[in-house]
Amino acid sequence: MTHTLHRQGTQEDLTHDYTVLAIPARGYNRAGSGEKLQAIKEIFLQHHPVNMGDIKRGNMYNPGLDHVTATTQDGTVVHAVFQDQETLLEVLRDLKEADTGLSIVVSGLFGHVHDTCQKAGIKRHTIEYSLGVHGATGLLPEPPLLEVSTMCGHGMVSFNLIRRMAREIEAGLRTAEDAGHELARQCLCGVFNPSRAADLLNRLVRR
Amino acid sequence: MLVDEAKCIGCGNCLDYCPMNAIALEGDVATVDQAECVECSACLRAECCPTNALYRPPLSYPRDLAWFFSDPESTHPTTEIPGRGTEEMKTNEITGRFPMGYAGIAIELGRPGTGTRFREVEKVARAVARFGVEFEPQNPVTALMTDKKAGLLPAELQDLKVLSAIVEFGVELSRVPAILEDLKEIAPSLKTVFSLDLAVRCEEDGSSPVDKMLLPFPLSINGKTNTGLGRAAATGKKQ
Repeated sequence: MTHTLHRQGTQEDLTHDYTVLAIPARGYNRAGSGEKLQAIKEIFLQHHPVNMGDIKRGNMYNPGLDHVTATTQDGTVVHAVFQDQETLLEVLRDLKEADTGLSIVVSGLFGHVHDTCQKAGIKRHTIEYSLGVHGATGLLPEPPLLEVSTMCGHGMVSFNLIRRMAREIEAGLRTAEDAGHELARQCLCGVFNPSRAADLLNRLVRR
Repeated sequence: MLVDEAKCIGCGNCLDYCPMNAIALEGDVATVDQAECVECSACLRAECCPTNALYRPPLSYPRDLAWFFSDPESTHPTTEIPGRGTEEMKTNEITGRFPMGYAGIAIELGRPGTGTRFREVEKVARAVARFGVEFEPQNPVTALMTDKKAGLLPAELQDLKVLSAIVEFGVELSRVPAILEDLKEIAPSLKTVFSLDLAVRCEEDGSSPVDKMLLPFPLSINGKTNTGLGRAAATGKKQ
């Protein structure tokens, strides 16, 4: 379940893309974890994420924030996406203070995340690198599409839907913001960054 | 996934929502290519059909495996967590799955966006099995293996397509370069793509042991960081 790894993009783009997830460990702290995960959702919300989700409840664009926050089951995984390092620092400080005992994983630029953890008084424990995409890479579309699609690690955002959103923006049928939200609806977990997607779609259209 | 032809109005709205490009219009009705559909439910969740003509019939083995490996909302009985993967490094401060001097490698076939058949998964599993690796016991691909030493998968699954499947194992850090070199060798023979990742426990000072190693693939500038905030509920212990 490496669904927040392998996000593609430049250093500049990724400066606006930080995903935080909370997960219980089977056999160690799963029982009763629903209440703690609910508290973590509330911390996320206080910092105005651009997306937020619960793998068992969907995301804030589908079926909507009320549904995501209504209840939280033991053993689920909750996520939120933030756009800058300053907000990430505030979120990490609050999560540390809440001391739920659940695992917290941040995805983003290693240098920025390491620096932010240190400011929050957190010593990183384990890291996971992407070593790229290999094999029959001729099957893949152009890199700008991959930058959008890889924001949903479960592969729920199809290449064709991204192309269609670009066409609809170009034709004046949608705004880039609306297209970003439509793509975010497909990503069950809520780790897709619709704001970054809107920027990338605008760039695609300009090309 | 199937289309109820009596309900379908042939608008074609569903076509672009399919991550596997498995839906097409034949005349004025949408059809789903069953060899390409991976039962991911993306079309259902998108609520893209104005007449609710798309539906998933009851699935039996081995087709039900496509659902487990493709729909993140499904929970595989082996992992008991939603999705096709495992907790891997996300809970490492509690489980101690990857201690210092050890690495986790995950090879996710079919990602991004291409899907994979299990015969490609087996090719990779067999290749890394030659190194005597220990496949992750909680991983659903490992659970399917008929020979966990050799990385073999059942004959009836070879043709089955899934959105992605992860070959996952732990190994001593010193052996990582040789395994990655071998993966680089076999990559051109695959009929799908794979996303490759490497997880390691940080040093006591928070630095990465991998930064000092020479690897055949460049390390990403971004990735996942376990903050070490978790602990076991009963004992309060961390690894």
